Parts: sequence; structure tokens; C-alpha cells
Amino acid sequence: MSSSSTPDHLDEDAARLALEEVEEAEAVLAQRPQKAEAALGEGAGSGRSSGWVTAALAAPGLLWIGFYLIAPLVIIVLVSFWTFTDSGFERTWTLENYSELFNDSTYWDNMISTFVTSLIAVVACLVLGFPVAYFLALKVESLRIQIALFIIALAPFWTSFLTRAIAWTFPLMGREGALNQVLIKLGIIAEPIPEFGFSTLSVRLAMIQLYILFMITPLFFSLAQVDRHAIEAARDLGGNWWRTFREVILPQTMPGIVIGSIFIFVLTMGDYGTVATVGGGNITSVGTLIYSKIGAVQYPQGAASAVLLVIVLMVGVWVITRFSNLREEL
Amino acid sequence: MTDHVEDIEGAAPAAPSPSSGSGLDLIGLTKVFPGGTVAVDDVNLHVEHGEYVVLLGPSGCGKTTTLRMIGGHEFPSEGDIVLDGQSLVDLPPHKRPTTTVFQHFALFPHRSVLANVEFGLKMHGVGKEERRQRAFEALDMVGLTPLADRKPRALSGGQQQRVALARVLVTKPKALLLDEPLGDLDRLLQLRMRVELRNLQRQLGLMFIHVTHNQEEALSMADRIVVMNEARIQQVADPLTIATRPATELVARFMGDNNIIRGTVTEREGDRLVVEDEQQVRASVRAPEARQSVGDPAMISVRAAAVIVDPNGATASDLNTAECEIVFVEFLGDLVKLHLLTGGERMLAKVGAEAYPALRGREGERIRISWKEEDVQLLDA
Repeated sequence: MSSSSTPDHLDEDAARLALEEVEEAEAVLAQRPQKAEAALGEGAGSGRSSGWVTAALAAPGLLWIGFYLIAPLVIIVLVSFWTFTDSGFERTWTLENYSELFNDSTYWDNMISTFVTSLIAVVACLVLGFPVAYFLALKVESLRIQIALFIIALAPFWTSFLTRAIAWTFPLMGREGALNQVLIKLGIIAEPIPEFGFSTLSVRLAMIQLYILFMITPLFFSLAQVDRHAIEAARDLGGNWWRTFREVILPQTMPGIVIGSIFIFVLTMGDYGTVATVGGGNITSVGTLIYSKIGAVQYPQGAASAVLLVIVLMVGVWVITRFSNLREEL
Repeated sequence: MTDHVEDIEGAAPAAPSPSSGSGLDLIGLTKVFPGGTVAVDDVNLHVEHGEYVVLLGPSGCGKTTTLRMIGGHEFPSEGDIVLDGQSLVDLPPHKRPTTTVFQHFALFPHRSVLANVEFGLKMHGVGKEERRQRAFEALDMVGLTPLADRKPRALSGGQQQRVALARVLVTKPKALLLDEPLGDLDRLLQLRMRVELRNLQRQLGLMFIHVTHNQEEALSMADRIVVMNEARIQQVADPLTIATRPATELVARFMGDNNIIRGTVTEREGDRLVVEDEQQVRASVRAPEARQSVGDPAMISVRAAAVIVDPNGATASDLNTAECEIVFVEFLGDLVKLHLLTGGERMLAKVGAEAYPALRGREGERIRISWKEEDVQLLDA
């Protein structure tokens, strides 16, 4: 019965023998990313024969995007350069629609006020939505309760958009509405303020309520991916709550913030339903302006307004994506 | 046998003797979770500075909860945690002079290796220059300086483990808490990191408290092992004692390869007891502390490695010996495990590989085994 019969001893020998092997393996591991990239590069350059297969596989998706996204956009761009006539438009190239639009202060005033509304909605949804997502993702321990609470948060979205939008007219913001009642009960105002209804304020509040879930959802999924042990590690290494949040949680949540912000920004910039319903005709936005131009059969002008809006949206989305490297983080 | 003993001692010297006021004390530490589950029940332990203590036990035994309470990530229901005379119980994790290496490393994925290591210093308000310098010193210590600009995901498991170590060492904690630190590594790397970790601890002279469910890992690394089961401490001792002198049935079973014999005390002369089981296997044991007298039930254990197998011969005496049937001869390269049956009881013997030719293919045959009285251990029920 020699000493070598104990498992401990076995391991020490094995450890020594394994040492070189492990080091080799680690070296290989360390090199893998570069090699993988090189392999990908080669594949893209030389894979001529497999190109057709790739194209065939991509075709349905391309067709779909082409038909539903590219084609309508191209048509709108084309129409925006055509000439307006009383009966619609004729296919004569013109820059008239754009030059008219650039000198149209109503359009730009609406662009600015819509942008302000949009900005307020993005910030408010972020500030109000973050604690909800944070609580759901990091404070609720059980997955079942997490899902249950998330479904409850979704509950308002089971009702139709119109129902929720109408709630922001008389029931909530009207003369006899909830907001006036509450303010009177609290003694903040003596008489109901009739101006709450069908106002910019009610449109902005409605937008926050109507769209906040588009912020909470990506935030929730981002926060749920944050390693709880990494948060504990940050606390353990001397970070108080705020610094842990600032240095560890927030940076890892950036993809969710960016995606949520893009949702809210795009949805509110182009919104005309909420503005029309909650604003009741008193309030206009870029969306309602385009809508009324189409209604007045001014297709080229409407198309040009839409093209400018798309450009503003693209610039806005580009600016938002600067806050996080989505390609790397997702 | 003797050099086996020396080997274990060489790997882990006995614990330093305790001195008052210095070191970590767990006093009556208890944790009851909201559902009523008692995770940790009245744990008392003293750990010296520079000592490597391993909390060992099956999953759910309370070892991780104990560690988390020391680190401040769980609050004890009762009891106190005192480090160098200062109670830690009311301090949040970031104010405690302890740091934890978490299971699965828990690195910050969005930061570079260097920024990960610098993090603790940044939180403690250390200036940028000094921060950088100390972070590189820590990275040097674990041999990762060339990878300082990498993101954690571009590292192998072993490298991530070393970043996690550098990240906690840089803050110069009084006690380092390690929660299954080797659990995520493949086996070869585990074996290597055991040696690295233990050497690092010796160099630094720091108190390490290491949680694992791996017996080998505990035996090979610890100065002292704390075996836990069902929220309670079963035994606290150096690895040699844990391996050769298990105090309770649970320790004997958990450490593995122990033959446990349940029987009745048939003789008692001073501190020497003779225990006989239902198969008439008789074993003598010296146990000055024993409370049993003749007729009382008793439980003893004999390590598989202490069992002597004579493939041909027979022993004259009927004490400390048993006639067995060979169930299976398991050859493991440099040792042979004999699976035996005496009456209805299974027994296990481990012998050197040189005995294999004589034992090969003898399943079904009968064989006589024996053991020495000094290798018999009386167990607490």
C-alpha cells in the first residue's frame, strides 16, 4: 500500500503533467478570436460557389423587405419630386414641393414641437420606466412572480389603443375629469382648469402612458441579463448603491436604453392618432400635418413632408445609437 | 502507510494556534430564511490570519450562506461575526474588510481586464496613477499583464479566474472569501489552479476562506477543513485528521472510501472497545472519549486504504478481520479498488497496483481482509 495509491497524490502528478497541455490550450484559446475573424474574412472572399445558396436563402427575406419597406419608400420619394396638379399629380420632376416646405414655418414649428414632445416622452419613459424594469428584473427573485408582474404591467395594453387614448380626453383631463378633481381635493386649485383637456399637456401625458411599455420591455430584458453576482461583486469591492448602479448596472443596460429610446422616439415623432384623438383637433404634429395633406389630395407635398420626417428620424436614431455599440453588446 | 501520512502533512501544515482578539470569529452564527428553512445553525469558528480554511459539504449544507454572511451578502438571523475585535454584522459589504471571489467569476463584462482590476481601488477613491500601478502589480502576480486591454469574454476560463483573483487582491482585504472558485474550470485547470491559489495564499499570508463540495480540493488545499452538513458543523480539523479520523458517520460517508461498521459493544477494557456487527465481524478500537458500555450500539469506520488484503493467506485471530466475497476488482492504474461483500455488508479495500496480477479475475472467490486497531475510528452517530 504505497503512498501513490491516494487520490491526492494522483492529482499532484497529473497537475504537473497537465501543466504544459493546459498552457498550450490557453494559448490556442487566446488566439481564437483572430483566427475566427481571419476565417470569416477568407470565407467571404472566396466562397463564390456557395454565394448562390446564400442568395437563395436570403431571397424570401429580401423580397419581404423590398415589398413592404423599400418599395413604398421609393414610391414616396418619387412622388415627392413630382408636380402637384388639382387632380393629384403628374410625373414632371420638380423641387417645388421641397422649396415650398423649407419656407413653410408651420411645418417647421410642428417639427420642433413634435420633437420636443418626443424628447419629453423619451426622457419621461426612461425615468419612469427604469425603476419598474429594475424592480422586475433585479429585485423580484422568483421567475414566476417576475413573469406574473410583467403580465400585469402589460394589462393596459390588452385594451385598444383608442380606448386608452380617449381616456386622456374628458375622463382624465376634462373639466370634470380626474386631474381637476384631484387638484381641487388637494386644495391646489379652487376652480377646475378647463384648459387641461385637448391640450399639449394631455397629448404629452397620453403619449408617455401609451408608449412606456416600449421602454420598459427592452429595459427589463437588458437588466435581466446583468449578472447579479457582478452587482454583488461591485458592492463587495467597495461600491455603494449609486456607484454600483452607475458603474456596473447602467453601462450594461445601455442596449436596452438605446432600443427603448429608438422605439419611443420613432413612435412619437410619427404619431398622429394620439395627437388627433387626445388633442381633439386643437393640437397638430408633423404626423397630423402629413395626414391632412394626404386628406387634401396634396400627395407630392405630403410625400415631401414624409421624406423630411424620415430623414429627421434617421438622424435621431443615428444619434441615439451613438450611446452604445449595439453590434458589440447584443 | 507512513509516507502517505507525511504527504498530506507536507501539503497542508497544521493550523496556527489561535490568539485572542486577532482573526475572524463566527459566534453562534445562524441564518433562517423567510420560508423557515434553517440554512446555518449555530456555527462557531475561529480563523487565524494567514490560515487557509475550507468549508466543505454537500450542496445545501449552509457553507455558501455562511460565506455570504461573512462577506455581508446575507444578514445573519442570530450570532455575530467579529474580525480583529470589530463586529461586521451591521456593515454593508462595501464597508467590510473582506472581499469575495464569486462563483462563475462575476467579472464586469463591459470593462477591460485592467478596468475590472482597478474597480475596487476606484471605489475606494484611489487616484488614477496609483490605481493603474497597483492594478498592474496585481495582474503581474497572476501573470495576466499582456491581456490587460482584453474584455473578459475574450479570455479562457482560467484567465477569467485569475482576473477575478487580481480584482479582489488589489484591494488588500483582511480576508479573502472564495465561493466554489474552481467550480467553473475544467478538471486539468482545476488541478493547476489549486496549486497556484495555495501558493498565492502562502506568498500573501492572507486569510482565505474557501467554499467547496469537492473533498479532494479541500484535502489538497486547506490548513483546516470545516465539514458541514444540514446547516451544522460536523467536524473541524486538519486534512489528515478529516481523511483518517472522521468524527461522525456523516463525515465518514461524505469523505468517501470509508468502511462503516454498525454493531454493538461486546467488550470494554479501559479505553479499548470491541464492536461486533450482525455478520460477526469484530473490530477493536481505542477511544478514550467513548461513552458506550457493553451492550450499547456503536459505529466504527475503517478507511478503504487501511484495509490489508492477503490474496492467499488467512489470519489466525478473529478480531479486526473479515472473510469476504470479491464482488468486483476495479483497476485504477496505480491502485486497485476491491469491492467486497461480508455477509450482507458491502466493504471496500484499496491496495497498490502491484497486487493487481494476484487479484485479477478473482470475482466470486472468498478472501480474508484485516486491518490494524489503530486504523479503526469510533464515530459519533
